[in-house]
Amino acid sequence: MKELLVFILIVSPFMFAVLCSIIKSDKIRSFVVLAMGIILSVSSLLLITKVPFSFSPKSVFTIKVNHIIEVSDFLLLFLMLFFAFKYKSILIRIFVIFQMVFVSYFDFFLKQNHSDYPTIYCDHLSLIMVLIISIIGSLICFQAVPYMKEHEHHLNIHPAISKQRGFFFVMVLFLGAMNGLALSNDMMFFYFFFEVTTICSFLLIGHDQTEVAIKNSIRALWMNSLGGCAFIVAIVWIYSQIGTLDIQEIIRTYGNAKYYVLPLALICLAGFTKSAQFPFQSWLLGAMVAPTPVSALLHSSTMVKVGVYIVLRFSPVFKGIFLSQCVALCGAFAFLAGAALAVGQSNGKKVLAYSTISNLGLILACAGINTPAAHTAAILLIIFHAVTKALLFMCVGTIEQHIASRDIEDMRGLYAEMPITALITVMGVITMIMPPFGLLLGKWMAMEAAARNLLVILMVSLGSALTVMYWARWAGTLMSDPFAGKFKLESQPILTWIPLLSLCSLASVLSFLAPLVYTKMIVPDLNSNFIPFDIHRGIFENSYGQFPVVPLCLIAILGFGVAVWAVKSAASSRIVPPYLSGAQTAEPGTFTGPMNQLVKSEARNYYLSRIFGEKRLTTCINLAAGVWLILMVGGTL
Amino acid sequence: MIGIKKFISKMRTKSPWLLHFDCGSCNGCDIEVLACLTPVYDVERFGIINVGNPMHADILLVTGTVNHRNKVVLINLFNQMPDPKIVVAIGACGLSGGIFRDAYNVVGGVDKVIPVDVYVPGCPAKPEAIIDGVVAGLSKL
Amino acid sequence: MITDLVLAIFCIVFVPVLGGFISGIDRIITARFQSRVGPPLLQPFYDVIKLFGKEKVVVNVWQAFCAYCYIAAASISIVMFFFKSDLLLILFVQAVGAIFLVVGALSSTSPFSQVGAHRELLQILSYEPLLVLVVVGMYLEVDSFKIWKIYEWNEPLILKLPFLFIVLGYALTIKLRKSPFDLSTSHHAHQELVKGVLTDYSGPFLGLIEIAHWYETVLVLGLCSLFWATNWIGGFILVAITYILEIIIDNVSARMTWRWMLGYVWAMGITLSVVNMVWLSLV
Ligand code: SF4
Repeated sequence: MKELLVFILIVSPFMFAVLCSIIKSDKIRSFVVLAMGIILSVSSLLLITKVPFSFSPKSVFTIKVNHIIEVSDFLLLFLMLFFAFKYKSILIRIFVIFQMVFVSYFDFFLKQNHSDYPTIYCDHLSLIMVLIISIIGSLICFQAVPYMKEHEHHLNIHPAISKQRGFFFVMVLFLGAMNGLALSNDMMFFYFFFEVTTICSFLLIGHDQTEVAIKNSIRALWMNSLGGCAFIVAIVWIYSQIGTLDIQEIIRTYGNAKYYVLPLALICLAGFTKSAQFPFQSWLLGAMVAPTPVSALLHSSTMVKVGVYIVLRFSPVFKGIFLSQCVALCGAFAFLAGAALAVGQSNGKKVLAYSTISNLGLILACAGINTPAAHTAAILLIIFHAVTKALLFMCVGTIEQHIASRDIEDMRGLYAEMPITALITVMGVITMIMPPFGLLLGKWMAMEAAARNLLVILMVSLGSALTVMYWARWAGTLMSDPFAGKFKLESQPILTWIPLLSLCSLASVLSFLAPLVYTKMIVPDLNSNFIPFDIHRGIFENSYGQFPVVPLCLIAILGFGVAVWAVKSAASSRIVPPYLSGAQTAEPGTFTGPMNQLVKSEARNYYLSRIFGEKRLTTCINLAAGVWLILMVGGTL
Repeated sequence: MIGIKKFISKMRTKSPWLLHFDCGSCNGCDIEVLACLTPVYDVERFGIINVGNPMHADILLVTGTVNHRNKVVLINLFNQMPDPKIVVAIGACGLSGGIFRDAYNVVGGVDKVIPVDVYVPGCPAKPEAIIDGVVAGLSKL
Repeated sequence: MITDLVLAIFCIVFVPVLGGFISGIDRIITARFQSRVGPPLLQPFYDVIKLFGKEKVVVNVWQAFCAYCYIAAASISIVMFFFKSDLLLILFVQAVGAIFLVVGALSSTSPFSQVGAHRELLQILSYEPLLVLVVVGMYLEVDSFKIWKIYEWNEPLILKLPFLFIVLGYALTIKLRKSPFDLSTSHHAHQELVKGVLTDYSGPFLGLIEIAHWYETVLVLGLCSLFWATNWIGGFILVAITYILEIIIDNVSARMTWRWMLGYVWAMGITLSVVNMVWLSLV
C-alpha cells in the first residue's frame, strides 16, 4: 500500500505531466490537472496513517531506480548546459561543468555497491512537506487553469500557439519532483530532485520569454546551480568520510562523533540559495515576472521551502556548535532585512517576495536555535506560511488580472470593485499577522525560543514590527473607499473561487486545529524525550510560556460575530463623506480648488523609501549577509 | 429607557465639544473665541473642548459673514456633524453680515444658510458672552 | 471556571472605570501645569457617555468593524493580564487592536485619516520592538514569560532591569499619546492633522475607541507595575511616579517628526536594552 502511495505521489505526476504536454484540448487538459490534483491530495492524506515508514524501491517499470537517477542526473545537467550555451551564460557553464565533474567522479570512482538502506523514508516532517505540496500545490494548479487562459488572452497569444501545454507539463512535473525530494532518504536522490526543481523554476520564470523573464530566469538558474554545487561537494565529502548516502545514517553518525562539519555548512549554503536568503535574494525577486501561479507554487509555498527543509532535516547534527549559531543569526538577519525591504515596496508581488524571504529567514533562525520548541515553531511556520502565502499570491494574481496592475496604490479601494477577493486578501493578511492564527503562533514560539539569544531576539523583534507595518498598510489600502452600502459581487471562474475559498478556510480552520497538528504531526518527530509544550484544553503551555489557541480562537470567533453585526447595523447609519476640511463636493474624494475647479484629494501610503528603499539597503544588506555566510562556512574549518 | 435618555442628555450638557469655523471673519471674533481656551477663562472647566473636526463636534461656532464662496463649506461642515447638534453664531457679522452686509460677495448672517440656535452679539463678541452663548445653547441639546 | 468568568467580567467592567479615572486625573494635572483649573474628575466619563448618545455617522462601514475589533482586542489583552498569562502573547493581542484602529482609519479616504493612520503605524513600529525587548528582559530575569512567575519573584525587577524600565518609558509615552510622540493623534486641541487617525471615527465608534484606549492605558501601566511586583504599594508608587513624569514630559516637550521618533526611540531603546541585558548576563 505505502509503496503504491509513494509511487502515485512521486511518479504519477511525471506521467500526468506527459499527458498534459500531449493533450491539445484545453478542456481535457484542465480535466487531467483536476484529476491529478484530487488523486495527489487523496494519496497524501492516506499517507498520514502510514508514517513513519521506510523502504527501498528496487525498480520502476522494471528499470532499476538507481540507474534511472544516475542517467537522469546527467541528462538534467546536459540540459542545463544546453541552456547555458543557448543563453551564453558563463556562470551557469562553470557551475554545471563543476557539478558534472563531481557527479561523474562520484558515480564512476567513489561509489561502491554497499548494503541495502532505505532510499525512501517518510517521517512526519516529510509527511508535512508532502501534504503541503500535494494539497496546496494541486489547488494552485487548479487556479492556474483559468489564470493561464486569461493570461494568454491578455498577452494576445493565439490559442494555436498557446504555450499552456509546456506550462502545465512543468508545473505538474514539479509536484512529483517535490514529493520525491521530501520522501527521499538517499543523498543522490535528493540531489537529483533538487536539480529538477531548479530547472523547473528556471523554465517557469522564463515562461513568457520576454527579455526580463529570460534575464531573471538565467539569474535564478545560476544562483540555484551554485546551491547545487555546494550540495554535490557536500555529498562527495560526506561519502568519502563515512561512506554512506543514507540521510538518516548520516544524521546519526555525525551526531555521535565529531566530524568535520564543513559539508554540513555547504548543505546549509545550498539551502540558503534555494530559500533565496540574502545575498541570494535577487533570483526570487526576479522570479516575480513569472505568471502568478508559478510564484504561488514555486516561489512561496513549496520550492523555496526545500532550503529550510534540508537545514531543518540536518539541524539535529549541528546542535550546539558554531554553525548552528550562524544559521540562527543568518536567518534572523534575513527576517529583519526582508521585512525592512518589504516596507519600502509598493509593488504587491515584491512585498510578497520579500515577506517570503523574511519568513523563511525566521524558519531558518528557528532551525538554528535548535531546541525542540524552536523546531516546533519552524514546522508550524512552514505549514501556515505555505497556506497563507499561497492564498495571498492567488489573491494578487486574481486582482492583477482584474486591474492590470500589481501596485498596492492601484488596489486602493478595491473593496468597491472586487469585494470578495478584497475580503479574502484581508483575511489572508489577518492570518499572517494576528493571533490566534497559526503564523503568529509560530512566531510566538520562535520568539520565546530565541529569547536567550540576544542578537537573534533583537533582530526578530524589530523584524516583527516591520512585518506588521507593511501588512496592515496593505489591508487598509484595500478597504480604503468612500462608499458604503451595497456592492455588486464580482464573478470569477469557479476554478478561481475553489482554491481561494478553500485556502482561506484552511488558513483559519487549521489554526484552530494547531494543537492537534502539534500532537499528531510534530511531537512524534522530535525524537527526544523532552516535549516542548504540553497541551490541555487547547492551550499550549510549558514552564515559560502559554498560548491558549483554542480559547483565543473561540473568543476571536465571538468577536468576529459581534464585529460583523456591527457592520450590519452600521450600514443603516448615516453615511457622510470623509473629512476634507469642509471643502468636499458631491463627487467623492474631490474638493473645490482654485477657480472652482474640482481637485481630487490624494493620499498615498508611506513607503519610507528614503529609509527602507531597495536602492539604499540592498547593497549593505548583501554585503553584511555575504560576510555572515563566509563566516558561517569558514567558521567550520 | 427614558431614564437612560435623560442621563445621556445630561451628559451632553457636561461635555460640549466645539467646532469653530471662521466664516470670513475679520479675526476679531476668532481671537475672542480662542481667548476662552486660555487659562483666564479656561472653558475646559465645563468639559468644553475645541475639536476642530465636525465628526466629533456637538456645537458649531461660526464667526464672520457668510459669503458665496464659503457657504458650501459651512453647509458641508454642518452636515458632517452627528446629531444632536447646535449652531452658535458669533459677532455682528455672524448675526447679520455686520459691517460687510452690503458687500457684493456677502450672503449675510449664518442663519441664511444653516439653522442657528444661539446668537451672540458684539463686535467682537466678548469671551464671556461667547461662553454664555454656548451655555445657553446647551439647554437645547 | 465560574470564578474565572467572574474575574474576566469584573476586569472588563472595572478596568475602563480605572482607565477613565486615570485619564481624568491626567487632565486635571495637565491643566494645573498650565495654570488652569481643568475639567472635573469624571469628565472622561461624561465625554464617553455623551458619545454613545450621538447619532451614528460613518464614512465607511468597516470603521464600525474595526472599532469593535479594537476594543475586543484591547479588552482581551487586559483580561489576559489579569489572568497572569503570557506577556509576549498579551503584547501580540494588544497589537491586534492597534492594527485594527489603523485599518479602520485607512478605510476612509480623507488625507487626514490616511496620514494619521500611517503615523500611527510608525508609532507601532517604534514601540512594538521595545515592548518585546522589555518582556524578554523580564524573561531573562525570572526565566518565564508568565506574569504569575513575576509576582512570585522575591525582589523588584527594577533593581535588575533599570534601563529596561526607561525603555518601557519610551513605549509608554508613545502608547499614551504624549508629546513628543503624539504624532498620530493627540488629546490636546486640534493639531495639524485635525484628529489624525481618529478624524473620521465619530459618535459611538469614537466612544468605543476611547474606552479601548483606557484598557490600553491600564495595560501599559500594569506592565510598569510589574517592575515592582513584590508588594502593591511599591508597584503603585512606581506607577504613580512614572505617570507624573509622563505628564511633565508631555507638557514640556513639543511634537516631533516621525523620522526623529523612529531613529531616536529605536537607537535609545535598543542601546539601553542591550546594555541592560548584557549586564544581566554578566552579573
Ligand atoms: S463681528 Fe466685528 S470682530 Fe467679529 S468678525 Fe465681524 S467685524 Fe470682526
